[in-house]
Amino acid sequence: MACNEALRLQAYFDGELDASASADIERHMETCRDCAALVHSLEALRGGLREDALYHRASPVLRSRIAKGLDRESSGPRGFTALMATGRQFWSGAASGAVATAFAAALASLVFFPVTPNPLVNDVMSAHLRSLMENHLIDVVSTDQHTVKPWFAGHADVSPPTADFPKEDYRLVGGRVDYVEGHRAAVLVYRHGAHTINVFSWARSGESLPNIVDRNGYHAVFWQSGDLVFCAVSDTALDELLGLVRLIKEISIPDSRE
Amino acid sequence: MDDKRRRFEAQVLPHLDAAANLARWLARSPADADDIVQDAVLRAYRGFDGFRGGDAKPWLLAIIRNCFFTAAGQGRQRRNVPLPDGELDRVDGALIDEAPDPECVAIRADQGRKLDRIIATLPQEFREVLVLREMEDLSYRDIAQVTGAPIGTVMSRLARGRALLKEFWLRDLEGARDGMQ
Repeated sequence: MACNEALRLQAYFDGELDASASADIERHMETCRDCAALVHSLEALRGGLREDALYHRASPVLRSRIAKGLDRESSGPRGFTALMATGRQFWSGAASGAVATAFAAALASLVFFPVTPNPLVNDVMSAHLRSLMENHLIDVVSTDQHTVKPWFAGHADVSPPTADFPKEDYRLVGGRVDYVEGHRAAVLVYRHGAHTINVFSWARSGESLPNIVDRNGYHAVFWQSGDLVFCAVSDTALDELLGLVRLIKEISIPDSRE
Repeated sequence: MDDKRRRFEAQVLPHLDAAANLARWLARSPADADDIVQDAVLRAYRGFDGFRGGDAKPWLLAIIRNCFFTAAGQGRQRRNVPLPDGELDRVDGALIDEAPDPECVAIRADQGRKLDRIIATLPQEFREVLVLREMEDLSYRDIAQVTGAPIGTVMSRLARGRALLKEFWLRDLEGARDGMQ
């Protein structure tokens, strides 16, 4: 038969007893064989249940699905439908060339993206477009690389090499975090003329990368450096985008993952 | 990113692994479990304004559990039938029986996978308290919040769940030993 103290012993084992009750039960265990054996048994079971193999973590695929779901919940419906609902006023108000073109391309792309096959390209392209459509472009506003880089350490999974290139007219304006394929990607935001360039970086996990992807007037350039995967996205001319890619590759140091 | 989203990501998403683990131990099928987690996290987000602070972990896990029952109620899953009471009374003594403890038997390479199967055969009300206590390290109070059961019930389910698990585990180890002889 089980000792009457079995439930109290279990509570002791689970850390639910205060100091004096714990002392009581410890004294009891010195004389009760049943309870000493029970604690032994509870420890064995706990060891078994805490085996890592039994723990099912959220997969990157699930994380990415949830990030997309949250995007739709938090910004998708508001950003997209609000734009559609106020369409006419919006277009007459924002008829200033560049902005209108960007939004037209953004809208067209949103419509076409769901049928395209590569989820990675979809992720960076839609993240880029979202950054243009809403107040989502920059989480940390700074032109100072020494401010942006440490900020990533607390917010993204990686801390990429960070630099401003004013001489070449690629101006660092800030940083942001986006979900790309389930990773918390660090995003550096640059201005080049009137264009915005988003440079995403995340920890490499062996996925196969496209090289250069063109879609709806936007270019995405992918590359790897050390442990990191990079992707620069913009609607600038491809040559100009590659100019920034070259500069970033020059300052990249392997092992910048944190 | 708006403020609500930012707060949600900081307070709730750190518990995504715990959510996935509980869903997996409730639903068993990985695809069903993923659907439950996604559904639950989006519901949590919609209801986040009603979250009164404190620890978001039991709050999120309670939503996971509700979503599991909603899905189960729709007939997509119902695989575990509670054991009849007599059966449970019979194994209560198993916690302190004379058989060798599991750790006395040589550790086998596939022990984890076996234990996985054994936990899966436990009735759901015992399986969930064991997962919450041993894998997620929740207090009795938090387990009571997640399962909606009084603390006394949590304690007796834990004791019975542990007794059952031990009996099934020992039976499995003995079966393996007999098989080798």
